[in-house]
Amino acid sequence: MRRIYVHQLPVRMWHWINAVGCVLLVLTGIQIRYVDKIDVVPFRTAVIVHSWIGWVVVANFFLWLLFYLFSDNIKVYHPELNPVQLFRGSLRQAIYYGYGIFKGAPNPFHMSKYRKFNPLQSLTYQIVMLLLLPIQIVTGILLWDLSRFSKVVALLGGVRVVDTAHVLTFIVFVAYIPFHAYLATLGRTTLEHYKAMFTGYEEVDDEEGVDETG
Amino acid sequence: MAGMRRRLSSIGAVVAIALLAVAGMSASAGTLSPGDQKCLACHGSAGMVKPLGDGEALSLHIPGDTFAKTVHYILGCAGCHSDIDLAKHPADAPSIASKRAFSIARTQVCAGCHSDIFSQWKHSVHAALVAEGNPIAPICTSCHSPHAVIKGAAEAMDTVPCKACHGDIFTAYSGSVHGVLRSAGVTQAPLCFGCHGAHDVKVPTADEGMKGVCLGCHKDAIAAHQAWLPNAQLHFEVVSCPVCHAPKAHRTVDLVLYNITAHKDASRPLGVPEFESPTGTDAGHSGLDPATLFNLLKSLNRPGVASKTSIKGRLDVSTGVEAHQLMPASAAISDCTTCHREGANAFQSVTISVAGPSGIPIRYGVNKNVLSSVISIDSIGGFYAIGGTRIRFFDVLLVLALLVGFGGPILHLTVRWGYKRYHKRMQQDEKER
Repeated sequence: MRRIYVHQLPVRMWHWINAVGCVLLVLTGIQIRYVDKIDVVPFRTAVIVHSWIGWVVVANFFLWLLFYLFSDNIKVYHPELNPVQLFRGSLRQAIYYGYGIFKGAPNPFHMSKYRKFNPLQSLTYQIVMLLLLPIQIVTGILLWDLSRFSKVVALLGGVRVVDTAHVLTFIVFVAYIPFHAYLATLGRTTLEHYKAMFTGYEEVDDEEGVDETG
Repeated sequence: MAGMRRRLSSIGAVVAIALLAVAGMSASAGTLSPGDQKCLACHGSAGMVKPLGDGEALSLHIPGDTFAKTVHYILGCAGCHSDIDLAKHPADAPSIASKRAFSIARTQVCAGCHSDIFSQWKHSVHAALVAEGNPIAPICTSCHSPHAVIKGAAEAMDTVPCKACHGDIFTAYSGSVHGVLRSAGVTQAPLCFGCHGAHDVKVPTADEGMKGVCLGCHKDAIAAHQAWLPNAQLHFEVVSCPVCHAPKAHRTVDLVLYNITAHKDASRPLGVPEFESPTGTDAGHSGLDPATLFNLLKSLNRPGVASKTSIKGRLDVSTGVEAHQLMPASAAISDCTTCHREGANAFQSVTISVAGPSGIPIRYGVNKNVLSSVISIDSIGGFYAIGGTRIRFFDVLLVLALLVGFGGPILHLTVRWGYKRYHKRMQQDEKER
């Protein structure tokens, strides 16, 4: 076994700020939307906290974006353009999670510095980071001050349309966040990937960890 | 001078008034001129009436002492009645169809001197109603008793003429923070005309309502609200002031059918059963359902139609009476959950407005479910209140998301644990064998 450095400091910082931020956004979002059913925090406080955390997550998103745009680590987000490869890799990983893992089969994915996401992870993170989070950021900013952005809101079909996009994306995150947290426990040990996201180092087999493309 | 007056009917009213004013100057204030006293020789007699075309009778009795106290006494009788030729009077007195017709015709006399004010009135909702043939819409003499115009009478609580027609509203106003202060002598507190104007009275529910008027006096209101109210500017745009400042009022959502191309409220769509009545229906009426509203918008914006229609929304109080039950700021609603919760009073009554004749909106009842239906996302894209008008279908999706998000891992974990136990037992069995 050996250790490879895959999670750089800006990525680790972004990840934990994003994780805490998104969980708090979901919780305050539920409080705001269901004040008639849940009464933990006053509505007004929930709105103010939601807005402030939203701005932190927006700034944090740009930390992530700039880091990847201006470093060669962006390779980890390069999409698999070969659909056959993408399908095969995803299916192999899905079979592992849905069957092989129960029997103790080895993970078909081998991590390296520039290939740290398995095909399913890669696809999911591309959707989350390049589609869902930007949708949530844009709609969130519009809803933060509807008067200031009234023309853009009108162009998009009105406040109800913008809110619907925000709520639907929120619902996806409600399903995604616990799933993501659970999948992170499926390493060699339950906390292996969690520790790695603090230290930056992942443990791999001796023959793993070498990038095919360098 | 008397000879001159006989000829005045053929000269313009302005010239007559000017000459009579000069004549009047010679008399001491409150003293009627000899000419006027000559008129009152007959018209000062109580019970003098003229039969009208509609069978009613018009009183021609003018109490001289009352007229002498009015602001118009200085003009004298002929100031307004320059059309009377004393040489032929009363023999050639014209026939009058009705009091209303006579009063409307006489507004032109008022306009002779008060042209600015008359012009304001001409652009008011009152004038629009008169033009529509409304039999009680006010004209000059409705508010200003023609022979008893006393300076300042229209500006006092006791004598303000608006309450003659808007009695219920005036009662509500009297108990409001404005009415109470005005009664106590605080002249900065507005009386009717302070908010609605004396003569250029507009439809209070049209466009952005009375918000601009409120902010005209309460200049720091926006800043004061921004200090504590999230999205304060938006609240000012879609929530009328009395919604929060008349805390006991019933609230209603008024959706407005709006012509985006022409930048004005759309008129009544034809051929839609829910809009059959030309006078509208009550908010409580079941009215348009979400699917009908969706189809209506689709039909109005079908390909080939140049002007596009959308729906704007506004939260208001249900009646004009309630709009005047304004309380001090300390009693205003400041609890956000009053509206931002499912089943809130504010969203139980919904109407849709279209532009009526003369710009007076006509309201039609709408089923309240339009506010929470998934079908309405596009049709009423312009109105949404967090929590209060949330779409119920998304609540179901959220429950599903929670089931997937937490149920999926729990199920996976359970299967892993089960497999592990099964595997262990199998290994043990093998060892034992």
